[in-house]
Order: sequence, then structure tokens, then C-alpha cells
Amino acid sequence: MNEPHDQLCDELRDRLLDQALRETLGAESPPDLSDRIIAAADEQTAVLPQPKGDGVMGKTKGRRWVWVAIASTACLLVGTATALLLPAVRASREAARRSVVSNSLHQLGASMHNYHDATQTFPSPRYTNDGAQYASSDDKLRLELENRLNREMKNGMRRYAEPAAAGHVHSVEGPIGPSVLPIVNNPYPIGQDTEGPFRQPLMQGSGVQYNRIAGPGTIPSRPGYVAQQNQPRALAFSPDGKIVTGTVNVTGDISSPGSVQLPVDSLEILETHAFHDRRTEDQDTVANAEAADETRSAVPLLMRGVPLNRRSAERLARALEVLRKYNIESGQGPAEGGDKYVRLVENPFQAVKDHPLSTFSIDVDTASYANVRRFLLQENQLPPPDAVRIEELVNYFDYDYSPPTSDVPFASHIEVAECPWAPEHRLVRIALKGREIQTNQRPASNLVFLLDVSGSMDQPDKLPLLQAGMKLLAGQLSENDRVAIVVYAGSEGLVLPSTVGDQRATILDAIDRLNAGGSTNGGAGIELAYKVARENFIKEGVNRVILCTDGDFNVGTTSTGALERMVEEKAKSGVFLSVLGFGRGNLNDAMMETISNKGNGNYAYIDGITEARKVLVEQMGGTLITIAKDVKIQVEFNPTQAEAYRLIGYENRMLAAEDFNDDKKDAGEIGAGHTVTALYEVVPAGGKVDLPGVDPLKYQTEPKKTRNKERAGELLTLKLRYKQPDGDKSDLLEFPVTDGGEAFSKASPDFQFAAAVASFGMLLRGSQYQGMSSYDAVLEIAQSAKGADKYGYRAEFVQVVERAKPLGEERAALIEEARKVLEAAEQSVEHDQ
Amino acid sequence: MKAEMVDRQAEMAALVRFHQAGVWRYLRYLGCCPVEADDLTQDTFLAVFRDGFEDRSSEQTAAYLRTVARNRLLAVRRSRKKAPEVDLEAAEAVWAETVGDRGMDDYLVALEDCLEVGVTPRVRRALELFYRDRLSRDEIAEQLEMAAEGVKTLLRRARSVLRECVERKLGS
Repeated sequence: MNEPHDQLCDELRDRLLDQALRETLGAESPPDLSDRIIAAADEQTAVLPQPKGDGVMGKTKGRRWVWVAIASTACLLVGTATALLLPAVRASREAARRSVVSNSLHQLGASMHNYHDATQTFPSPRYTNDGAQYASSDDKLRLELENRLNREMKNGMRRYAEPAAAGHVHSVEGPIGPSVLPIVNNPYPIGQDTEGPFRQPLMQGSGVQYNRIAGPGTIPSRPGYVAQQNQPRALAFSPDGKIVTGTVNVTGDISSPGSVQLPVDSLEILETHAFHDRRTEDQDTVANAEAADETRSAVPLLMRGVPLNRRSAERLARALEVLRKYNIESGQGPAEGGDKYVRLVENPFQAVKDHPLSTFSIDVDTASYANVRRFLLQENQLPPPDAVRIEELVNYFDYDYSPPTSDVPFASHIEVAECPWAPEHRLVRIALKGREIQTNQRPASNLVFLLDVSGSMDQPDKLPLLQAGMKLLAGQLSENDRVAIVVYAGSEGLVLPSTVGDQRATILDAIDRLNAGGSTNGGAGIELAYKVARENFIKEGVNRVILCTDGDFNVGTTSTGALERMVEEKAKSGVFLSVLGFGRGNLNDAMMETISNKGNGNYAYIDGITEARKVLVEQMGGTLITIAKDVKIQVEFNPTQAEAYRLIGYENRMLAAEDFNDDKKDAGEIGAGHTVTALYEVVPAGGKVDLPGVDPLKYQTEPKKTRNKERAGELLTLKLRYKQPDGDKSDLLEFPVTDGGEAFSKASPDFQFAAAVASFGMLLRGSQYQGMSSYDAVLEIAQSAKGADKYGYRAEFVQVVERAKPLGEERAALIEEARKVLEAAEQSVEHDQ
Repeated sequence: MKAEMVDRQAEMAALVRFHQAGVWRYLRYLGCCPVEADDLTQDTFLAVFRDGFEDRSSEQTAAYLRTVARNRLLAVRRSRKKAPEVDLEAAEAVWAETVGDRGMDDYLVALEDCLEVGVTPRVRRALELFYRDRLSRDEIAEQLEMAAEGVKTLLRRARSVLRECVERKLGS
């Protein structure tokens, strides 16, 4: 009933936006009509009294004529001035904006300075996954600073948006001084540019972008990711390169053999005059003025309190720039800036006596490998380290694991052998193989494709590739299946109503008719897709929404949290969600993986028609048919046999030990015929491992090692929990594992190949645990362990590694050189001290 | 008496300076071209001054100025025997709900923000070509090397994304 009204309101809202866009994008701005209006008003006042008498009347007429002349002249002048000033208006707006932003940032810097004075430390850049929850009082301060910054910016914007009294040019109070930029949450803030070596080059747009705390519309952090490690605490810069304050603590997992530990653990760069002004203004006391004088006389660049000359400073800056460039920087892949990856922190070694249990959820996704392959083979560059999820690399390949023979939905295969990159360690491979379902025994499927046909999909590697892939899939459907297509752009939401699978012509026709463009948001599209899936629900069949997008899903519409909750909710009702990612430039890798996890589905990245065929045809069963859900793995290590262990990959799938028995905790799904491989690097008992120890407990005795001879010989026990696809209660499986002391060369080809892939992943990530890994070793192992390689994926892996080798080695050399520069600087500073 | 006149003039000048941008934007939103918006902004203030207006609060004044502006626009349209471009009452309801009486500044700030983070460089380029450079869809399509139909949908989608982003920001 209210539809026409809603439509009208919709149009009016669009009009409002049009007006704002015209103004924001510089097409027009409200003119200053003050003089004209005041002149006209004066004339009006003069006309209004209308006193009697010719003489007076005559006077009024004369006066009116004068006012008309003045008004016309004023209009003319205003018009001419406007025409002359138009180009200047934009520039002055920019300048005003710069000034406002710089003042605001200055305020932020000053606040940090004050904070440092009070606490002798800078506020921590840590924040939690949920933008609203702050982990510590430091974070409260961050929030406060951020709010202050936003408020300042908003006020500044308002000031400049208001027509200024002086005329058409918008002026803003305050000089256009050095912009003092706060650098928060940025691992490597020091760079070099034309204006000086110590200015952060990442400042973009209004400058608040990178400074914003995760919230609706931004990318959620993965569980376990807390961006606090090894980051500088705070830093402020000025364009002239010398007015800087803060303390940088840079150490950590930077790509290079054996990891680079940056020796610069305290690079202090002190501010001079910029803060002085603010401090004396804000705190008008003698003591503070003196403190400010001290700051003013400080040396421009210090390292551990020792002044550096400009040349050393520049060399240092270049070295840091190299490290920054090759480092993990969320959302800033070396390809296009729009792809989004969340930082992964590798699982460290854990001491068995302190942490005997290792618990994680399985992951059958393969997107990361397809993405890495695309970077290397198509773009000839190394992928950003955070795009490399080692478990997805390993799981991409088929392994010859035998399927289950009993009622259990999957079989497990465990193998232990020497670790190729650390021969003193053992490598444990845990493999699961899902029950295979023949194509003709496939349960009926109700598939709803939810396709992004927005403008950004209008590229050969996106929509056309998706269409080709869907045609392949259409060829696999039978009269038991139903398929529907929902697009979330364009006025027609439902392109193909749920159609029986054997009506191929109708389906192909609908696929052909797809073209990029439209305006319906992702949130509305997904609602419709679930609605269609629900209406055509097949009991005991496969009910799945398949989201195909280049990652521009849902931008600025529904919050990620709300979307995740919705997908999770729908998964409970039996409609699962899978995600197929396409293209580059906009790829929201992090979000796609998250929502596919929540939707009990999988996430694949389609970089070419071969991959489309693999996912939609060869592995159709695995992609579509879930045979077990919430599959969790818990490994208990035996302290008699193992000193420490490390799970390779699965960083974002780690679970707490108690989650294993908690059936409410969501975990990964396994599809028909899927294989899952997990690798543990184990330090045998008595082996050396550098771990920070824990003091002995005061009130408890340590758990005693078992005396049971049979059990004492076991290396570990593997425990698995899983639910039937429609079940709510989990079943438990247990397998004890003994290490036979196998050499790597005696291990099965599948074991060797998986180890080679993991080793390659560590090289790409620049892992600190890569040990003796090298591209040559990976190539050698992969070539010898290629096996039958039915589809040629392993041969292709060899190509990928060959392409990565020169790139990776060049990167390693650059990093090594940068490391040396830093070490030299460190030594020279120590010498001076 | 003279001092009173001077005060009154200063008050009027302040009122004009403070509210003219808002009135002008409102008139543009109601469908006036820039030149007409200039004229009607002036008419609006003159009408307000003529009626001996008392400035109680900037919010009330803004709302009152909008009512006067609407009436002026309606009068002009009627004199030309034309209907206004939009349903004026509905337009006012949407403005009051979205922009409120504080003027469009918050809206513009939110939009700038959304443009920074919510659209890709390509979309931003398309928006600039359309709104700032006033190119036709075909010309934009040529510049961006895409189909004209694609430009239409690209812009439509961008606007939808921006609108929701801005409204969410203003709502929160």
C-alpha cells in the first residue's frame, strides 16, 4: 500500500544525494548572496514606509534608483569575482581542508604526547575484533583520541562548508602549517619520499582511513588476530621530515630465511617546534613551558638516544622501506590496493608439558592456492604473505587416501616421518578422506546462485568466467536438481526462478542474459536468494546458496556482523552457503572466507576456467554435498615422546581445548570425496626448542607422565569429532599414533608432496619456522613426488614454484641487505654509546 | 532610531550569512536551477525580513526559511502555470528526516567520508565525470572503456551504496 510513497521518498533521497554529490565532487557550491540580499532588503525597507508628499516620493524614487544601481553593480561584481575565483575555490577548499586535518592530527599528536608524559608510554595500538570493545585502558584512550580526531575533522569540515563572511572563498582559522600525522596500527611507518626520509607515505585521502577502528563496513579481524605484535607505538611526522615524535619498536616476522629480527628496537625521533606551540598553548604553566623548551632543543633524529647524521638516517629509511614493502600489511597487497587480506600470525611452537592439547577446526577451502597461483603465473609477482594460507595450499591437491569402508563418513590416515626443513624434527601428517559419492547417487540439489553483476564484475576474468563456469555446472544437473539465479544488481532480482535441472536451454539462456550493472545491494540479494532456496527446499537433499562475487559484496549496506549472523542462522535451517571469488582489485578475501565458514560452506577462488571446472565439475560432490559438519580435530601429545609441536597453517581455525567437546561450537565441514591434510612439526622429547618457560606452579603439582608402557610409546592420540549434516550431536573417534622413525625419503609420495607444499607456503610467507626450506628443495621434492597426477595439478605446482623462485630469492636478498644496514646502524649506535 | 536600524541590518546580514547556503541547497534539491535558486534564496530572505521575523533558534529559523522557500517556489511555478518538479511536502519530510534543521553540513561530511572508503577509484572517476564534468553516459563509457548501459548501472549502484552509507552514518 505504501509502495508509491516509498518510491517517492526513495527518489527524493536520491535527489538529496545528487545535490550533495554535485557539491562534494566540485561541480557547484552555494554562492555568497549576502551583499545582494542585504542590498535588496535595504531597498525593500526603503520602499515599505511609502510616506505621502511628492517631494518625499520623488526622493524615494531617486533613492530607489540609486539602490537598483548599487544592487546591479554588486551583482556584477559578485558574478565577476565568482567567475574569477572558481578555480581558486577548489584550491582554497583543499587548502582549508588540509589545514583542518593537519590541526586535528596535531591535536591527536599532542594528546599522545601528554599521554606519554603521564604514563611514560604511548597508547597501545591494540584493538579487538569487535570495534566496540576495547581491550584495555590504552584502547579507551585510543577511542577517545579517535573520537577527538573525528570531532575535530567534522568541525573543521563544517567550518569550511559554511560560506565565509569575507566572501566566496572559504577560509579556515589557523595557518596551513606542517601536517603532523599520527601513525597508529601501522607496522612499518617509516618510509622515504621526496620530502624527506621519515614521513609515512601511506597517508591517503582524508587521513582517517587507516586510523579507523574496525566497525561496520570494515573488515573484521579473524579470530586470534590481534594486531598488537611488533608494532610501533606511535609516531608523528611533518612534511619537512624532522618534526617527529614517538618510539618505534620494530621486530618480528618479516620475510627472510630464518626471519628477520629488526635490530632497531628503539628508534626515537623527537619532535621540535610543532608540539611546542600546542603544549604552551594548552598548558600555560612555567613547568610545561620549560618542558616544551627542552623538546624544542632536541635532536631531529635519534636512535637509542644517539643522534644520527642525515645519510645514515636516509639509509635506514630505505632499509625500513624495503622491509615495509615486503611485509605483512593487511589490505595492502603488492597487487592492487583494493584486495583485502587479514593478517595471519603463524602458530608458534608449544611446549607439550604446558599445552598437551592442540585443537582446531578442519578447513577444506582451496581459495588461497588459486589466488597464489594467479599472482605468480598471471601477474608474475609474489603474493602478499597474508594471502598465503598454508593449509589451503596443502588441501588444494588430491591425495591418494583411501575412503572409509564403514559407516563413518570419513577415514583418517596418519603418517610420521622426518621433517624435510628441520631434520631433527618429526613431521606428522593427519589426513581425512571423506566418503565418495558417485555422481549418479548424488542427492537431489536445490541450488540458488547469488551473482554479483555489479559494474565491477564487468571484466573478462569475472562475469564471463562465472558464466562459463555455470554452464559447465549446468551440464551436470539432472531432473532431480533445481537451480535458480538471483542477481544483486539491476532491477530484476530473480533472473532465473527455481528451474528443474534438465531444462538446460532455459538455464543456459538465463546465464547468457546476465550482464554487469545494477544497484540492488548485496544484503537484499542474499535475502532473496535464501527465500528462493527455502521455497524450493529439498528434504534430505542439498540446499545451498552459492555466492559468486569479486568481493564488492555488501559494501556500505549491511554490516559484516549482521551478515555473518544471518548466514549462520540460515545454515541452521539447512540452507548452506558457499562462496566463489573472482578477479582482483576488489577481492575481499577475509570476508568471503568468514561468511563461507559461518554458512557451513566452502570458499574457492576461480582464477580461470580450469579452476571453475575443478570446483564445479570434478569436485562437484565435495563442493555441494556435505557429508559431515563441525569436524574438529584434537591432538593430545605425549610428553614422553614429544618436547614441543607446531601446527602448520590453520591459524584462523584454532579452537580452545574445551571447544572440542562443545557441540555448540561451529567448525569446518567436509564434502563428499574431500581430503583434509594437517601437518604438525614435532620436536622429539629432549630436543632443543627455544620457548619462554613458565614458572613452576605453587599450588599444584605437575601432571605425571603415564607409566603405562603401551601408551608411553605413543607419540600422540588423534581425536576427531563430527556431526552428521543434519545432526546436532557429535560423534567421537580416537586413534593413537606411534612414530616408526621413518626417514623423509621413505615416506609416501603424498606425504612428501604435502611437505613440499607446506615448505613453499612458509617460503612465501617468509615464515620464521621455514628452517632449511628452499625453492630448490621444494622443486626437487615436488617433482619426485608428483605421482599419477591425473589432472596435472602437481605439475602446475612445479611451474608455480619455478615462477616464485627468482622473485622470492630477490626479495630475500633485498631483505638481507636491509637487515645488514639496520645491524650496522645498530652497531654504530652501540659504539657511540 | 538610527542605531536600531544598524543593529537590524547587522542581524539580517548575520542571518543571511548563516542560512543562505542551506536555503540555496534546499531550493536546488527542490528542482531549481542554480540561477533560479539564487533568485529564490533572495526572495525567501526578503519575504522573511518583510514579515518582521524573529530569530529564536537557528533550527527554528532553518525550518521557517524552508517553509518560506517552498511557498516562494510554489508561487513562481503557479505564476508560470507549471507544477513543481517534486512533491514539496514529501520533499520537506525527507529533508527533515535526513538532513534535519542543522543544514546539510553533516550530510556532506558523511558523504566525503563514504566516498573515501566506500567506492573504488573507478567508481569515483565515473561519479566525477558525471557530476563534476557533466559528461553524458556515452562519453563516460568511452573514457572508462565500458558499455553505456554499464555506466548507468555503475552510477546507480554507486549512488545506492553512497546513500545507504551516508544515511547509516547520519543515523548512527
